[in-house]
Amino acid sequence: MNAFVAIAKKELKSVTKEKTIMIAVSIQLFLASFSSAILIGVLSFYDPDSIGLNAQLRVRVGIIGDTGSPLIWFLRDRNVRVTPFSSSKDAENAFRAGAIDTVIFTPEDSRGVVEMKLFLPDSETRSTLILMILKEPLKQYENYLREGQGVHVRYTDIKGLPSTTYEFRYSVIIPILMFFPAFVAGSMVVDSISEELENHTLETLWSAPLSLNVIFGAKIVAALVLAVVQCALWSMLLRLNRIPIQNLGLVLLLAAVIAAIISVGSALIATYFKDRERSQFVYSLSVPLSAGTTYFFDVSPITLMTRLATGDCYTGIADVVVYGILLLALLAVFFSMAKRLIAMPA
Amino acid sequence: MRSRFTGGSRPVVVLILAGSLLISYLAFRQEDILSKGIYRVGVSPGCPAIQDGRFSTVTVDRSTGYSLLNGKALDVYIDGDKVAYRNDDRSLYAAGALRLYLEKQELARITDGYEINQAFPLRIEVNYLAAPAGQGTSLAELVEALTSGPAVAGAGETQPSPDTPQSQPAPSETDFAVMEQIQEMESGGRLPKIEMEFASDKAIIVPSLMSPPVPFAQVVIAFLYILPISFVSVFFTSSFMDEKIDRRITVLMSAPVTPFQIIVGKMLPYVSFSLASVVIMTLVLGGNLLLAVAIFIPVILFIFSIYLMVPLVYRTFRDTTFISMLAITVITSYLVFPAMFSGVNDLAYMSPLTLAVKMYRGEPFGLEEYLFSTASMYVIFILSMYIGTRILNEEYLMGFRPLYRKVAEAIYLAINRNHLYVSITLLSLFLIPIVYMIQLVVLAISLNLPIRYAVGVLLIMAVVVEEVAKSVGIAVVLENRAIKTTKNIVVLSFLSAVGFLVGEKLLLLVSLSAVSESALSAVLFSSGMLWIPLVAHFVFTSVVCLLTKRFGVRRYPYAVLAGSIVHVLYNLYILGVI
Repeated sequence: MNAFVAIAKKELKSVTKEKTIMIAVSIQLFLASFSSAILIGVLSFYDPDSIGLNAQLRVRVGIIGDTGSPLIWFLRDRNVRVTPFSSSKDAENAFRAGAIDTVIFTPEDSRGVVEMKLFLPDSETRSTLILMILKEPLKQYENYLREGQGVHVRYTDIKGLPSTTYEFRYSVIIPILMFFPAFVAGSMVVDSISEELENHTLETLWSAPLSLNVIFGAKIVAALVLAVVQCALWSMLLRLNRIPIQNLGLVLLLAAVIAAIISVGSALIATYFKDRERSQFVYSLSVPLSAGTTYFFDVSPITLMTRLATGDCYTGIADVVVYGILLLALLAVFFSMAKRLIAMPA
Repeated sequence: MRSRFTGGSRPVVVLILAGSLLISYLAFRQEDILSKGIYRVGVSPGCPAIQDGRFSTVTVDRSTGYSLLNGKALDVYIDGDKVAYRNDDRSLYAAGALRLYLEKQELARITDGYEINQAFPLRIEVNYLAAPAGQGTSLAELVEALTSGPAVAGAGETQPSPDTPQSQPAPSETDFAVMEQIQEMESGGRLPKIEMEFASDKAIIVPSLMSPPVPFAQVVIAFLYILPISFVSVFFTSSFMDEKIDRRITVLMSAPVTPFQIIVGKMLPYVSFSLASVVIMTLVLGGNLLLAVAIFIPVILFIFSIYLMVPLVYRTFRDTTFISMLAITVITSYLVFPAMFSGVNDLAYMSPLTLAVKMYRGEPFGLEEYLFSTASMYVIFILSMYIGTRILNEEYLMGFRPLYRKVAEAIYLAINRNHLYVSITLLSLFLIPIVYMIQLVVLAISLNLPIRYAVGVLLIMAVVVEEVAKSVGIAVVLENRAIKTTKNIVVLSFLSAVGFLVGEKLLLLVSLSAVSESALSAVLFSSGMLWIPLVAHFVFTSVVCLLTKRFGVRRYPYAVLAGSIVHVLYNLYILGVI
């Protein structure tokens, strides 16, 4: 047992000394930040509600034609400033002077099909923005016209909250942060095992009264410790950012189990190929491959992580145990085969 | 390449490659693979099931439904035409997601169940007006033309005649537009539509059929181009690393070839592979070949220039793995992130992928946009090639020192000691794209903080990065005792400031024609008159360099800090905060 701890300690020390773990941590931070930056950006540019809130932007619309159109209610309801104009010349002058952003022409007769004209500024950026803000009131007006045609549209009164951020946080950001340490752990195991194989230092270790399985086990445990520490760190960071994780214990357990599965798998790869470069290559390809394969499961680890973190009440420890069993099976295979794999020529 | 995968691993590699391609294809086809079953929805008996992977649906009767909803076992309960939800976050988000889904379903129901004029009674013709000074179409003219001749569109079908739907067989112009958009919606709109025609001036929009302008599909395509390029460039790094570690490169260097020839020779096959992948991809997707090559050559050069630096500076494989991973994430984000905003913010042109997105959307772009997005890539490539040839010597490659020492040495080797003044000026100029990239990374990371702090951190970090870029060359020269007098340092600081400013203004010149309105660029590259910024840059750089001289190169970080404080105060003054 002492030897086990000693090897694990040595592994941890060598990793922290080389600062590679710092790079790995910064990659994760960067990935998470960048993807949320993309999301915030996309939302603030593409979501009409967010645009209004973020930019304090008020679109000013000039109306010509039917100045009593119900469209005006819907526009005003959405905080759009509406100015009626009696002639198109006036509206044009106001537009040129910059007093209004856009001009809408509505025909007097609003029975049947209404053919409106919308005049937008030539700048692509501004017109896209205006169009996105006008979209909702226009849709409401469209539904109003549909009612007039005897077409009833259901479910228009649901309020709710825009769910993109929520879904993104729990199904992308949290799985990335919780599973990326597992990827790093596997990579560490590959490096550490193939290094010993390449430098033939394993024989020396092995000849000491240490079994091969203790050596490999210690290496895997060292990688796991780092992975779990990182996950705990991320969950703290998320909490600071007001993203709560439900079932935190189970989430960390799942992260640890997956990290262990990946580490054992990577140990298998490293002992089979025996040289660092090929092992790393095969390893880094097979991780996305296996992650992809899990999508065909009913509940993939990523989905499971999402459900646990959002506090789904039908998901619990039983789902995590399934992966625990998989881990035990993999461990059994590895420990029984390691010696033979090492003896095999590369 | 060939020597790398001999023996038993090759079939495995091929198998895995094929497998991952297959999986990604399947994953691409399957909708909503992420957030599967994130919401629990109950529906009352008789309601149609929900065909959206995000919702796991159970059919329960009313009373059970409501009690499950209140017990938080369900997030939303659909009771016939009504949707019930709680007032907590989870339930509200679920309702928000469900609203979008039901909206789509209702649209499909209306499209199928009613005649086109009933289902889509509102059509909007979009016209564009040149905002300033009356060139372009006049609104008055347009409206006159419309109101005087509405016969085509309005008159024919204003009578609502639901009982005689066949009596109006002549569909109007806008009906075609509506039908086209309905078809587009029904085809899923998921597969990226690739059209090479220019968007027409007058588009007909139907509010409920309006698709959001997010260019996801095109960005995915542009991203597909990047993948093989980064893959190949990793092989390039590995091969370089290999030669470095078993010292074959030393043999090469003693042969009568120049370092430049060695680098180009090593890089050429990999660059051709990448180029071939671009060509194949474009042919498969049916894009414009010439345009695609023009767009992706700078991207390839940029990626390779980063991957050239990695093995030259690092010594061990383990370092290289992680640095390569970091490089991949940074490069990919730097390229993909701006492209998401093509058409919304002109700053999107920062990444050439925006051009690719434009190309696949069939939208035009000019030479200015091309230069704006690719110039920095070319500059980084030239810089990295130059530094690469200067540091390709045995002593440098085999030395094992901390990273910052390696970088300092590389910069010192890059500086031509016979033309010190020119070198320093050019160094500042060429470092600008890198400064720009680092500032972008800082921007992304700072968004983790609350917005008020984020702006502050961004302001400070941007300044620190700039100050380092301007003074690092001089500091290295100082360290190697190539200059000694204060006068020399002042002159060099001035030249460095000139170089930086020229670069900044050049970038601004290009960007002004491409980027019209952007608060971000104003913050990052505070524009203004020429003399005041020059004097300001000169003062900051002199502060850093003179302090470095006075207290020694060991204290360089503190000197940078001091210069940056002055710079931040200046910026705050310019922005009118103090």
